[in-house]
Amino acid sequence: MGKYRIFLFTVPAILVLGIFFVYPIALSLRLSFTDFTGVGIPKDVGWKNYERIFTRSRYLDALGVTLLFTLIVVTIQTALGLLFAALLHRLPAVRNLCRAALFMPAMMSFVIVGYVWQFIYSPFDGGLNALFASLGLGALQHNWIGDPHTALYALAFAHIWMFLGYTTAIFLAGYAAIPQEFDEAARLEGTSGWQRFRHIEIPLLAPSFTINIVLSTIGTLKTFELPFIMTRGGPDGATRTLSLHIIDSLFGKYKFGFASALSIVMLILVIVITLAQNRVLRAREERAR
Amino acid sequence: MSRLLRTGAVALFAFTGAAQAVTLEVTAWKGNDAEPAALPELIERFEAANPDITIDFSYISRTDTDIVLPPRLQGGDAPDVMMADMPLVKVWGDAGLLAPLDKGDWFDRLDPAVKAAVTTGDEVFIMPLEVIGMGNFVNMALLRDVGIDTAPTTIDQLKVTCTALSQAGVKPMIFAGGFSAPLFAIANGLEHDPSAAPALGTEDTSFEQNQAFIDTLSLFPELADAGCFDPEIQAGVDPWSTALAEFKAGNFAMMPQGAWNIRDFASVEGLDFVFAPIPSANDTGVALDLFGVGWVISSQSEQAEAAKAFVDFFTVEQNLQALLEAESAYSPFTGGASGMSARAAPYDEARTAGATIQFPFGVLHWPKPLEAEIFDSLTGYLLDLEQDPADVLSRWDEIIEDQY
Repeated sequence: MGKYRIFLFTVPAILVLGIFFVYPIALSLRLSFTDFTGVGIPKDVGWKNYERIFTRSRYLDALGVTLLFTLIVVTIQTALGLLFAALLHRLPAVRNLCRAALFMPAMMSFVIVGYVWQFIYSPFDGGLNALFASLGLGALQHNWIGDPHTALYALAFAHIWMFLGYTTAIFLAGYAAIPQEFDEAARLEGTSGWQRFRHIEIPLLAPSFTINIVLSTIGTLKTFELPFIMTRGGPDGATRTLSLHIIDSLFGKYKFGFASALSIVMLILVIVITLAQNRVLRAREERAR
Repeated sequence: MSRLLRTGAVALFAFTGAAQAVTLEVTAWKGNDAEPAALPELIERFEAANPDITIDFSYISRTDTDIVLPPRLQGGDAPDVMMADMPLVKVWGDAGLLAPLDKGDWFDRLDPAVKAAVTTGDEVFIMPLEVIGMGNFVNMALLRDVGIDTAPTTIDQLKVTCTALSQAGVKPMIFAGGFSAPLFAIANGLEHDPSAAPALGTEDTSFEQNQAFIDTLSLFPELADAGCFDPEIQAGVDPWSTALAEFKAGNFAMMPQGAWNIRDFASVEGLDFVFAPIPSANDTGVALDLFGVGWVISSQSEQAEAAKAFVDFFTVEQNLQALLEAESAYSPFTGGASGMSARAAPYDEARTAGATIQFPFGVLHWPKPLEAEIFDSLTGYLLDLEQDPADVLSRWDEIIEDQY
């Protein structure tokens, strides 16, 4: 009995996890096989909701949009975050000021950010088009969020602008953990700045890469705020993510059962991608040690 | 003994008095500063007329209504009276969460189309408050500048107007795929046979094979050729922010939208506009009426009588009038008053001429999920007007199929 007593200390954590995480997921799974409308008593519909998801092109398209949006955001945000962190690491005089400035957009509400960027991208004298016009680059004016070919990239840019500060801050924390001696020894060996960055800093920032990539992947896979505010998923589904489909199905269409099925599909997607990423990134960390 | 009796009498009086004083919880997505709909004033008037009833009013936006109220209804803690529309009545009524209303004199006075829409089987769960027009906002100053004195009501007039405006360097029309274009498509698609709407909302009939809708969508390239709009730009215009701002700024001459904007537009200094019917094949154009909102009573309400008194208060025309004027709306009652301003005279004329079509989502002829697909598919169509209209319409049929 004595050796099992230690497990009693895990009971509170297990209860919290069970009540706030496992139970809601189990409830969603249960509802995903019903036609629940949000009120009343749900009726079982078997696999019908899942069948709809995998036989209607609009949901598979939304899956593609979600994955592409995630790929764009995670790749560019991580690269830019690393770039800014590397610059700020070398500029201690302005580091704190720049870090605060980069972090500022993340403190703003999605609604404000969404509306501001919507007007910046407006085809009628929006800020971006007006800028091009004033620079004599009228040929670059474009209907940024009205053209399905550019809408997702325009939204991704706004998303990256908003969260770049987070990524940079995590990389800066990673830089702070690199022992000073490594840098000094490399300098004594006559290495260039690029060589130190490529062969010392990047390998030693492996844990920061893992955290950044995993967190931004999970956050971006679930994103709906900016597409909801700026384009409502349009034009013609070009920015409709799975999360936006879930919100649309829940509120306005009252298809809670169907939305639950979509949530389960998204949960599986997030778990699979995150596990795969984690495995690759952890292996990379091991190699860097 | 007499002291005991006196105490008992006082206690009984106090108890009776307390029982008569009722607080009624009412929620609505109108009544705030942005969209008062005269509700604060009407509630004050109701409380003055019913001193035993106090109204505890909460503004809950339409979007938040979907989020906040279902858990309260499901949990047995619903407000006594709630603002609702027909999609909500369908969901909440089917779940037995709404109290059937007495079909009193007010029910007999309802406009036949509204009466049919609000009747679920033998029951009626909602007391309609207003019918709002959806038509074509026209900037008359811009039209007069090119020598046109009246708002277009036919497709031919629309094309002529567009061409004249376009040649004068004026942007003729906001035709956003997310609302304006769908209003035009629905109005014109149903004008030929408005009675077809209920069948189109079922699997019995298809949009894909409906010639009136095919012809309507075939008009889009013609309107684009007439210079009415640049389809690719219109596809991405947000009808609820950018479009409204652009019309208010006088940057566009026409815009299909809802009459709820009249009050806001009228507050813009120098904006000379009228609210006209949607141009169509007929001379009158189409007055696309939306039965929007009404009051419902929760079946869990413990203040049923007070709730009924509150709802009845709005069935009195002179009480309702304040709301209609604030909303620029029509009464849901036959021969009822109108709150429309003089700017809506062209729309009024179309209604008087019998050119009214009920917006099919407001009366539950078409399922709510179809609305979003119409917005999406017409946006896609504007982006590529070479698409076969039947292919666009097949997407609507797929949504109908998904409801079964």
